Amino acid sequence: MRWPSWKVSIGFLLLLFGALAAPSLAQQAADRVNVVHVVGLRGVKENAKGTLAIENGNLRFVDSRAKAVVATAAIEDVVTGNDSQRMIHGSFGTLTMFAPYGGGRFLSLFRSKLDTLTIQYRDSDGGLHGAIFTMAVGKAEPLKKLLVAQGARTSAPLQDSSSGSNRKTDAAREQKP
Amino acid sequence: MKTSIQVFGACLLVLTISLATPKWRVQATPPLVSKASAIQVLMIQSDEIKLPVEFQISLYEHLIQQLEKKGGFQHVYRDGDKNAAGVPDLVVLHSTVRGFKKGSEMARQVTTVTGETSIDVHCQFTDKDGKSVLERDLNGKVMFFGGNLRATFDFAKKAAKLAHDNFVANSGS
Repeated sequence: MRWPSWKVSIGFLLLLFGALAAPSLAQQAADRVNVVHVVGLRGVKENAKGTLAIENGNLRFVDSRAKAVVATAAIEDVVTGNDSQRMIHGSFGTLTMFAPYGGGRFLSLFRSKLDTLTIQYRDSDGGLHGAIFTMAVGKAEPLKKLLVAQGARTSAPLQDSSSGSNRKTDAAREQKP
Repeated sequence: MKTSIQVFGACLLVLTISLATPKWRVQATPPLVSKASAIQVLMIQSDEIKLPVEFQISLYEHLIQQLEKKGGFQHVYRDGDKNAAGVPDLVVLHSTVRGFKKGSEMARQVTTVTGETSIDVHCQFTDKDGKSVLERDLNGKVMFFGGNLRATFDFAKKAAKLAHDNFVANSGS
């Protein structure tokens, strides 16, 4: 059984487009990170969950209710760090604190690690702003690299990605006194 | 004789009270500072104490938020804002971290009595010429609920109240 030539052509075209589109989709996925906005962005509530994207020279935070954009060229400092939080957090986590027989205390022992990303930037009037985000472990350093690549400045040198397992400890050290 | 001693004693008591009362009144009077229509918050300094940058930013942002929330000032200017230069009765808040103890959220939740996070900040309010008009040491802490950064919120509330009570015209002080 022979395939019609037009079907073969379309198949090749689809393969070609797929091959071209795949890296850009992967790039997009890497650039968009699920984060929690801790404090700082004007018009965005504290502890708002959203996505952080770095594209076209802008840092863009989007959640279900608000959007904030900061030009990467206006960012004067980018610093990464780490923290931890209860596995069961939020309102339900607070309620579990009242569980009988110290159940809440016991649950507090189970914690998940977090990366933090802190930025300082200036608005058009020269006013200094700061913003803090938390995200899954290992996400902050690539974001910092992207920001620096698009014109943001940093007081802490970038970590070498080739150092592999040392990367996390280096990032942690960045913030230690 | 006995009556004259009693009269003398009563006079002495009245005299003592009349002399002491104005002194109490002076002590109870808040420091004489001029009212301001706007305040500028400078970035938190921590030269002596190594403070993690997220605490520094959180202190600064919460301070601005609380000053705006408390009201009373027409404008709350940020560090470096060019518009602040044109305000004649501007008061500038300089904050310097004097002490920092990073506790542990886990220790607080598990033990209740340990793991407290505490920040000591020296607040200096100056006029536009840099002359100090009010200085106060404030503290922010988180003892049980919330993450370590909540200590910055506690400090910000106290600092905003201090600014409001001393520099806002209709603060009632």
